[in-house]
Amino acid sequence: MDGKVIVVTSGKGGVGKTTATASVGAALAQTGKRVVVVDMDIGLRNLDVVMGLENRIVFNIVDAVNGKCKSRQAAIKDRKIDNLFLIPASQNDNKNAITPEKMVEFVKELKKEFDFVFMDCPAGIEQGFENAVAAADEALVICTPEVSAVRDADRVIGLLYSKSITPKLIVNRIVPEMVERGDMLSHTDVLDVLSIDLLGLIPMDENVVVATNTGTPIIFNNQSKAGNAFKRIGLRLDGHPDLPIEVPSTKSSLWKKIVQKFAVKK
Amino acid sequence: MIKDNPVVKLKGVGDSLWITLDPAQPVDVIQKEMDRLFNRMKHLAVNARIIIDTGGKDSKEKSKLVQELGFYLKEKFCVGYVSMPPRQRVVDEERARKKDVSRSWEHHKNNVLMLAGRVRSGQKVVAKKHLLIMGDVNPGAEVQAAGDIIVMGTLKGLAAAGQPENEEAIVAALVFCPSLLKIGGYVAGAPSLQSMGIAEFAHVEHGEIIVEDYLKAGFFGKLPWLEVR
Repeated sequence: MDGKVIVVTSGKGGVGKTTATASVGAALAQTGKRVVVVDMDIGLRNLDVVMGLENRIVFNIVDAVNGKCKSRQAAIKDRKIDNLFLIPASQNDNKNAITPEKMVEFVKELKKEFDFVFMDCPAGIEQGFENAVAAADEALVICTPEVSAVRDADRVIGLLYSKSITPKLIVNRIVPEMVERGDMLSHTDVLDVLSIDLLGLIPMDENVVVATNTGTPIIFNNQSKAGNAFKRIGLRLDGHPDLPIEVPSTKSSLWKKIVQKFAVKK
Repeated sequence: MIKDNPVVKLKGVGDSLWITLDPAQPVDVIQKEMDRLFNRMKHLAVNARIIIDTGGKDSKEKSKLVQELGFYLKEKFCVGYVSMPPRQRVVDEERARKKDVSRSWEHHKNNVLMLAGRVRSGQKVVAKKHLLIMGDVNPGAEVQAAGDIIVMGTLKGLAAAGQPENEEAIVAALVFCPSLLKIGGYVAGAPSLQSMGIAEFAHVEHGEIIVEDYLKAGFFGKLPWLEVR
């Protein structure tokens, strides 16, 4: 059976697309799925750094899409997880180096080899976005609880709908203290505006910065709230769609957690 | 042949003959003129429906005159049925009331664009007349109409009603917090970022846009009869 092609997008830059792609990809690969993460941000590649694979790049996506190498040659195996592969972006081309039609062809091949194909979409809604979305079956929209991020995510959701893709939402970088003080949008405020299915809520976590800088997936850190949240997102994507969504909170009493689990609706 | 102001004019209207006459003229002059016209029609006048229009407002003398002429025509030319024209449309008010009674809106052509769903950021909806959205207008979205805009939901985007120059238009929403508001040529910034949680609407009054509680203001509730907008 063919794998699923999931594009990770947001519209706005810097909301955590690359981190989410790497983390969810790693989480799924850890459960035994064959996963490839594709960096679509041609000209501004980052995903290789986040995954700690920057010194192994020989071929990149532009080579693979344009037939200069085979997809297997371009896919770099992760250092720690055997089932996880990375197809890096090119650093010295621009977004026009590939076309949506060629992407569709390329992804068809990838689908045969992998269970999940994650595509890290560049910020914006121009050529790079078109390339990434053309081949996607599903979409994850990453949004932070900020008005600007919500507006861009909203635009992207509209564009995805127009391409017959129903996106799912991940709200990233929630600071529970600020939400409780009323200084930050809550995930319900975000959902009110965007009104799409919620896939997960990721709390703000310093460990993410450490993990991205050292190139180790955040999911290996069992103490990290964000890492655990990404793992649960991985489970929801693969076989456990009804896994309850935990709302990041300052309190950690068991009863509060139970109450929240029942309170959150998708 | 064509006189400047003939005493009696005759024309076919629908299935009847419409006679316009000057009630100020003496009866025998009118009858003479009628004779002239009806003689020419011969058998066409037999059993015809006649409407006698005396012009101006209705009065007792006029209906008496019409009655008299009716008898005359029935006797002489065997016409079928004589009546006065349907009530005169003299004033706008009467016209409006009549619309109400006759339920004129049943024949009114639908010019409302009614959409269900969510207008998302970057989308622009333009209506030729009125716009009704069953759903929300997100921040960054734009809704524009030549007439009114009504949002059955949250209005957070840009709303431009009465474009380009209808200042009678209104913008109403259940949760009213547009980022920018235009009515006709008037522009208003975000009226209040925090909605009061009540249905509000904006309209132009004395050259500025005013936002009011929709239910309290009773803007349309005060209208004495139904109007097609």
